[in-house]
Amino acid sequence: MYSVVILAGGTGSRMHQAVPKQFLALAGKPMILHTLERLERIDEVGEIIVSCHPSYKELLQMHIAAYMLKKPYTIVDGGETRQQSACLGVRAAKYEDIIIHEAARPFVTTGEFKELMACEADSATYGLDIPFTVSVRKDGMISGILERNSLVNIQLPQKFKRGPLLAAYEQAEKDGLVFTEDTSLLYHYTNAPIRVLPGTPNNIKVTNSVDLMAGEAIYREYIVGRD
Amino acid sequence: MRTCIITGAGSGIGRAAAIAIAEAEEYDYLALIGRSKDKLEETKSRMRTNSQVELYAYDLGDLEGIPALVKDIYEKTGEITCLLNIAGYTDPQPLLTTSLESMRLTYETNVFAPFMLIRECTKYMRLNHEGSKILNVASTAGITPRPGWLSYASSKAAVVSMSQTLAEELAEYGIRVYCISPGRCATALRRKLAPNEDQSTIMQPEDVGHIICQLVSETEHCLDGQNIIVRKKI
Repeated sequence: MYSVVILAGGTGSRMHQAVPKQFLALAGKPMILHTLERLERIDEVGEIIVSCHPSYKELLQMHIAAYMLKKPYTIVDGGETRQQSACLGVRAAKYEDIIIHEAARPFVTTGEFKELMACEADSATYGLDIPFTVSVRKDGMISGILERNSLVNIQLPQKFKRGPLLAAYEQAEKDGLVFTEDTSLLYHYTNAPIRVLPGTPNNIKVTNSVDLMAGEAIYREYIVGRD
Repeated sequence: MRTCIITGAGSGIGRAAAIAIAEAEEYDYLALIGRSKDKLEETKSRMRTNSQVELYAYDLGDLEGIPALVKDIYEKTGEITCLLNIAGYTDPQPLLTTSLESMRLTYETNVFAPFMLIRECTKYMRLNHEGSKILNVASTAGITPRPGWLSYASSKAAVVSMSQTLAEELAEYGIRVYCISPGRCATALRRKLAPNEDQSTIMQPEDVGHIICQLVSETEHCLDGQNIIVRKKI
């Protein structure tokens, strides 16, 4: 069984919204509900832990009740950083197999969760090829070019074993290091093999207002009637 | 057990739809809802079907009781497959004589009761893997100005909008939401709107009942999310 940690601790500052994006309506319901409803349909999901800003806990509980979600839910306070929020979520998990996903990626499918679970590696992530040129900038000038064929655009969800991941979080805290996502953290501390599964361009992270507009189209064309 | 809930089944379009659906036998269980047990009995007596038909004498003005009503049907059948919101009410008045009470009563029957039924049925329909259907009966009065019918016309406009919104909102659950807007149809409700009309020359409830039956059949899957105008031309 899996403990699924959902990162939903944001406060919406980048979208300049009064309501955090994970609670903004997307195709008629709060963004986070898209992911939670899909997780409800997966038997291997033993519990769902949502890392959430304390002032939105009550709202989240209300939605969980209204949508009659049946899995065991735990809502933990989000931390100061994404890494802290993830750590608090993983710490609260009761299963050794962990999946981490973020509420701002509402177009993940049940199939993608299942494929991740079926992957033989202990640690795995989704990743996309990078179809554009990536250069290094220094002092406002191009100072180098990266080989894009060797790069990967990391996508959630990701899976881990709880023990090594928790150890890596604790070491990072001692070292004062902050990583933008958890495969980077784990790789930094353990060099553990982390499988990259091919992601899809539909599984976008809703970051800006324009992503919400694109998201409505993705929902209609990619989710409805297909997942 | 494939279950169809039909409101307004004691007369008019609701009765005609119930009889047509019973004869088609695509549903195993028909839950007929209406205020009058006698009228529901009359509807049932006209049916020729092997489907199980159960009568629920219920006033949809009792909005608070709707969750228990739907739950009761679900617990008896194990599935809510189809919901037909056909019951309607009208009290045609010009603005200055439309009382708040009349407005409230019209909206309770035409808008709030369908809303409650849809919400409660959706809780169970989401569990169906084969898909479900909701059909709301609006009216052509809801799409063009009808001076003197303020409460009725505006309530039916709400039904059209609610249907189109929910067709998109519920699509992910495999729930198809249909909306039909009949024009002049020979019913008791129409008699209140047009007391002097010769009803023998206009569309009959059976005409609309057969269309509803076709829309909620298993083979139909292209006409949801639209406001379907149902008018007899000849």
